[in-house]
Amino acid sequence: MTAEKSSNTIEISINTDVLVIGTGAAGAEAAEVISAQGYKVAVAGDGGQDIAQSGRAELIEGAHIRDFAGVAGDFRACFVKDGQRLERNFGAVVIAPGRNVRPQAEPFGLSLGERVITLGELEKILADGNARSKLGGAAVALLLNLTWEGDPQYTARVLEASLAIQQLEGATASIYAGNVKVAAPGLERKFTYVREQGVVCFKPMEKPSIEQTGDKIRITTLDSILRKTLVAEYDYLVVEEKAEPSDRDLDLAYSLRLDTDLEGFLPSNNVHRFPVNSNREGIYIAAPGLGANIALRIKELFGDGVKSVPADRAVVDPEKCTICLTCYRCCPHGAIFWQDGVAAISPLACQGCGICASECPMDAIQIGGFNDKDLRRQVREAVAATQKPAIVAFCCQNSALEAGRAAAEFGMDLPAGLKLIKVPCAGKVDVEFIMQAFVDGADGVMVAACHEGNCKAERGNLFARWRVNEIRKRLEALGIDKQRLLFTTFASNMAKGFAETAAQFAGSL
Amino acid sequence: MIVAERKPFEEIKAMVSGYKKVLTVGCGTCVAVCLAGGSKEVATLNAELELALGKDGISPGAATVERQCDMEFLAELDPLAEQYDAFISMACGAGIQFLAERFPDKPVFPAVNTSFIGVNLDVGWYEEKCRACGTCVLGTTGGICPVTMCAKSLFNGPCGGTNNGSCEINTDQPCAWYRIHERLSAQGRLEQIMEISPANDWSNQKPRKIIQPGYEERIKALQG
Ligand code: SF4
Ligand code: SF4
Ligand code: SF4
Repeated sequence: MTAEKSSNTIEISINTDVLVIGTGAAGAEAAEVISAQGYKVAVAGDGGQDIAQSGRAELIEGAHIRDFAGVAGDFRACFVKDGQRLERNFGAVVIAPGRNVRPQAEPFGLSLGERVITLGELEKILADGNARSKLGGAAVALLLNLTWEGDPQYTARVLEASLAIQQLEGATASIYAGNVKVAAPGLERKFTYVREQGVVCFKPMEKPSIEQTGDKIRITTLDSILRKTLVAEYDYLVVEEKAEPSDRDLDLAYSLRLDTDLEGFLPSNNVHRFPVNSNREGIYIAAPGLGANIALRIKELFGDGVKSVPADRAVVDPEKCTICLTCYRCCPHGAIFWQDGVAAISPLACQGCGICASECPMDAIQIGGFNDKDLRRQVREAVAATQKPAIVAFCCQNSALEAGRAAAEFGMDLPAGLKLIKVPCAGKVDVEFIMQAFVDGADGVMVAACHEGNCKAERGNLFARWRVNEIRKRLEALGIDKQRLLFTTFASNMAKGFAETAAQFAGSL
Repeated sequence: MIVAERKPFEEIKAMVSGYKKVLTVGCGTCVAVCLAGGSKEVATLNAELELALGKDGISPGAATVERQCDMEFLAELDPLAEQYDAFISMACGAGIQFLAERFPDKPVFPAVNTSFIGVNLDVGWYEEKCRACGTCVLGTTGGICPVTMCAKSLFNGPCGGTNNGSCEINTDQPCAWYRIHERLSAQGRLEQIMEISPANDWSNQKPRKIIQPGYEERIKALQG
């Protein structure tokens, strides 16, 4: 699959077929725009006849992923379809997430029924001409984001439904909303428009109390704008449908080795990534309206099917590798696999964070631009050349390094003996480097990472913190003051904070 | 694999005190995989020794061989050995002893405690699975080892202490024989639980040797 081009880049030929998992609206949209780019698309999932009819994509109907392996440009999916195994290769994968829906009547002590319905049920009634008439003249209350975080899509549905009610003869809609999520194109405008059309919107300061007596629903709420307790009666109450990650998505996250956010939704949050990217190169998460973004990312990844990549981003020495799988398990980007009895790293999927290199028990992995020999030499030089106290500061290039350099540029006071050593991610700071710095005579060592939740490599900062904590214990056991080793976090714009922390640290040594 | 844990530093330091030239020998197999004795642990331990004893107190060397339980790999250390007064071995107990056998005139100190035969649950997380009893009964116990998991290492169970899935010693300890019952019944071969496994011959707990089938002749020839 790879051919050498020059000593530092290689050309990789990429499989440019795309697998879309999920036949819903987001999946269909992604399939449509990706195939319009000229790539072959297969959609797997239940239903999806419209996709098959469009002729834009192949439909692998009723197929569910059983096993999944490989890396960007060369994924191998094994499906089960009608009890048969089916193996296919793809260069990229798009997941259209599914959601489980949990009606939120119970948090108000209510149960669903004729008068207490979910948003989904309301939408069905509104869509059906006969059923719709029963809402004529009715007062309807809709709850929005009172029992869960919510999202713009849900807000849009509630606004749409309210408007439809408001337009029925004699009917009125009132919305009781927590935080209204409007971060989607045109949604803010829609919210204003809906209110102009007569939909009343309350913003309760605390959870409203709701009682049902016969056919009437009474809502008592303390409104945060009017600062008054308001009581109103309605004919119908539309409770929220709290979205939860579907079981299928949780399974997919596990078998495709994807991180989820705290609530279990794909993808995990990372400010350094585009919203459609997952933690793995070549795997994207679709949402309505984001198809074009995904198509763009895929085009960037595939190009015309041959890609030039740095050959030395992360390289395994097959002589040293004992195939312990530590690197495979630690790589936050799923870039590592094994082949011919040793670990192998995909130069396309690897992001060069260096976490694997620092975790490898055999020091078998070298990172381009940050090889161990160079870093060790830098540590030695830093310690030898500096004034006292000699401080070696390992700085993540995405945050602390920028902050430290800016502090120097702005002429802020930095300890004279402080030396910054650039690392691709704090996760690259090896136990050995820190120990070696002390052996070489450093008075203090600082490991400076990104803030928690802000690591470009997802959790390189966590690895760094765990290691520092472990080494501090070891230093203590050696009779060395553990305060001489500091773990700290910065954002790249924190020049002043960097200078203060460094000065404080130097003072304490 | 064999799972080991690094010894507390104080213990290692006490053993090597007084030896200036020490070669720390890692092993690239089980102990590397369980993150206790590969080349990284060797480098880290040496740094700890230098920090604690000072560069004048100790000057440690580093070498990691493929496997310390194979003499051919230990032979690679021969040219190095004469430069050192003592060895630290980061291998399992078997490797440590084989290293000591290779260099009988020099002290060999263990830097790890060999803990068990186990499996990898996640990076740095292991679980014991087998006690090397020498009479494996997994075939009739649904693939669950009663010697390891049962507090009494019963070959036939459960005993009267089984307690809603837990062992009588405490509720966090699963009852091995309860699990065996569950697994065999799920596989539709529960009747096998009635088969009596004869008591193990625990006199086999003296040092054992194994010759794999097909190698008997070769070894007989070697032994002359
Ligand atoms: S961590 Fe190192 S020794 Fe283990 S599989 Fe990866 S490269 Fe090989
Ligand atoms: S450098 Fe980072 S992204 Fe690349 S293989 Fe190693 S852990 Fe994975
Ligand atoms: S019965 Fe248990 S201890 Fe004995 S060999 Fe089998 S797994 Fe190991």
